[in-house]
Amino acid sequence: MSGPFEWTGGAGTASAPRARKVTSVKLVVAGGFGVGKTTFVSAVSEIPPLTTEAAMTTESKDVDDTTLVNKKVTTTVAMDFGRITVDDSLVMYLFGTPGQERFAFMWDDLCDGALGAVVLADTRRLADSFVALDYFEARNTPFVVGVNHFVGSYHYPIPEVREALGVSDQIPVVDCDARDRESVKVALVTLLQHVYEIRRTALAR
Amino acid sequence: MTDELPPRATAHDFVRPFVITGGRTRATDTSLRMETMVQTVGTPRDDLSFEKARIVDYSYEPVSIAEIAAELSVPLGVAMVLVDDLVEDRCLETTYSDPVEIELSALTRMIERVRAL
Repeated sequence: MSGPFEWTGGAGTASAPRARKVTSVKLVVAGGFGVGKTTFVSAVSEIPPLTTEAAMTTESKDVDDTTLVNKKVTTTVAMDFGRITVDDSLVMYLFGTPGQERFAFMWDDLCDGALGAVVLADTRRLADSFVALDYFEARNTPFVVGVNHFVGSYHYPIPEVREALGVSDQIPVVDCDARDRESVKVALVTLLQHVYEIRRTALAR
Repeated sequence: MTDELPPRATAHDFVRPFVITGGRTRATDTSLRMETMVQTVGTPRDDLSFEKARIVDYSYEPVSIAEIAAELSVPLGVAMVLVDDLVEDRCLETTYSDPVEIELSALTRMIERVRAL
């Protein structure tokens, strides 16, 4: 037991390097079906959006099994996500919620631990974003609203959209074209600043 | 006649996803999330299942469980159970992240990073 390579004990002597501590943060992009969530993610992600599936094999609450046939339905819900590396100790992940309302039960897993959310609203079908708004309001998850304007759709002024959505003055509402990187960056920065303000206020108390 | 056949995958193409986990659908460590960061540690082992060996191989640089699930083309729940096993076996380490613990300085770094994209 002599020389420079003697056993020093404990972890860290194994062949793989010690894990360097990398923390991750999750942001959620929500909104109705086809509102541009994946487009939003891909506009800023450093990797092409990846798809992961959550298989629903055990949850069958909605299914009233009155049949004698044991027919188990396996539903898969796809979620797209992207990644932004902040530095060598912090990574941000952007997750798009599954669009359809019937997958809302998935949201708890998705939103648990989320730092904040961007709710995308389409002015042609504002009501599609109500489920997401209700959800984040109820959970006290910080969120901002990105109003996605589609070509040919009437450009409603923000105050009008805010009123139609029924969100409070404290919630930032910004224009957001999911296809435009700069526009998506503005929405993300707005969310992060909103979270920052909430934190700062909480700390000051 | 062929019109009557429903356009669906044949049963033979489908492997029940939780076969890989021995039917387990929940990880014992309930603090694991899809964004939890995972990294390979320790001496590589040669007694791991195919999927677990792939995870160990893939995770030398820190990655999230969601990325592992996408890489292996398995559902998130499957990736979580496998990661949980590998942590137990000391092949992987995870970094617990709680958004409540994110400091203002980290938020500032995130804002600056997004602006610089």
